[in-house]
This record gives sequence, structure tokens and C-alpha cells, in this order.
Amino acid sequence: MQKSSLRAAMAGGAAGLVNGFFGGGGGMVLVPMLTGRCGLDQRRAFATSVAVILPLCALSSVIYFFRGGLDLTAALPYLLGGLAGGFLGGKLFKNLNMDWLRRGFALLILYGGVKSLFF
Amino acid sequence: MGAWWMALLAGAATGVLSGFGIGGGTLLLIYMTAFAGVDQHLAQGVNLLYFLPTAGASLPAHLKNGFVDKKTARPAILAGLAGTAAGAWAATALDVELLHRFFGGYLLYIGVRELFRKPSAGASSPDSPPK
Repeated sequence: MQKSSLRAAMAGGAAGLVNGFFGGGGGMVLVPMLTGRCGLDQRRAFATSVAVILPLCALSSVIYFFRGGLDLTAALPYLLGGLAGGFLGGKLFKNLNMDWLRRGFALLILYGGVKSLFF
Repeated sequence: MGAWWMALLAGAATGVLSGFGIGGGTLLLIYMTAFAGVDQHLAQGVNLLYFLPTAGASLPAHLKNGFVDKKTARPAILAGLAGTAAGAWAATALDVELLHRFFGGYLLYIGVRELFRKPSAGASSPDSPPK
């Protein structure tokens, strides 16, 4: 196996672990590893991450479904919204300032973390 | 039915971010657990399902624009499938309160890391050529 494939496999494995355990968020592990270890530029790393996480989510959904009663009715509005948003995101992606996006995102995540831990 | 529409809007807003690949799913998890009162296990399951149409809708544009590095994606997907199976297995066996605390700790870590990250060399120049 080539070294670059091995690095990609390690990044994917780590992202998969997180993605299955927390039911998402694998991209936040994967993107920094793709830019760091695998040497992809930012934009390529983000787009590649979408392609990698998709099959992982498919597999995890099946496991969640069989092991913990996944409620499809509860999920439906999120799925419909996500469909529209995802389509828009794909279209807008070409002209995006990555750093700006990252900062705002970090603040939201911190807020969620504090709320989950202490309330 | 206000809650249904709120869920739709939340999915659409985070869906744009998910389409970028920047963690819309994590934001949606926060929305569901911190605002909509969905328990951690269910929220995680919903979030996984949510990513299927969302990523499915953004991926064609990424592929068309040539931003998906297939050489890197293939081994990452193979190893990722094994990792995600193990992770999902562990999470569905865990107590829901405990899982929620883990999630909070994880968010804090990611938030701090992202906030204090040095802007990387290629970060603000949109289309630096692939190495």
C-alpha cells in the first residue's frame, strides 16, 4: 500500500470512529487531517470530506436503526430541509471565504459544548 | 405544527454548511439537543439520516467542479466504514446521559481548536492548486 493511501486510510478511520460515535461530526476530524497529513488544499479537503462521510453516514444510519429505534417521522423535516440546503451549499461553494466561515462556526460550536456539558 | 417547520428550517440552514463540508451536522445536533429537546441517541440517528440527502444534493456540484480528490477518498472511505461501524456500535450501547456529556466535551474541544487555529497558508486563497 502506498504511503499516501495509508495516510488517507488513517484519516478516514479516525473520522469514521467519531462519525459513528457522535452520529456526525466526522468531517471536522477529516478536513484538518486531509489538509495536514494528506496535503490537500482547503477547498479540495472540504469537498472530498463530503464524499467520504456520505457512505459512512449510510452505514451508521443502518446500525442506529437496528440497534436503537430510529424515528423516521421525527427525521423527515430535517431531511427535506437538508436536501434544499445541501443543494444550495454545493452551488455556493466555489466562491466561499473559508477562514471567515470557520470563525463563526467555532463560536457556535463552543456555545453548544458549554450547553451540553453544564446544562 | 410550528415545531415541524422549525425543524425544516434548521435542516435547511445547517444543510448549506453541510454542503460545504464544514460541520452542518454538528450544528444540527446542537440545535436538536439544546433547543428542540430531542434526546442524544435519537438526535444522532436523525443527524446521520439527514446527511444522506444533504450530502447527496451537494456532491454532484463538488464532483463537477473537480474538488473531490478520488485517490484520497477511496482508502479513506474503506477505513472509515470500519471505524464508523465500531463507533455506532459503541454509541448505541451507551447510556444516553453519558453520551450527551461526551458530546459536550467533544464540542468544546473542537470549538477551542477552531477558534485558535492559525489561518493556514492556503486558507484564504480559494483555489490553490493541488499538490
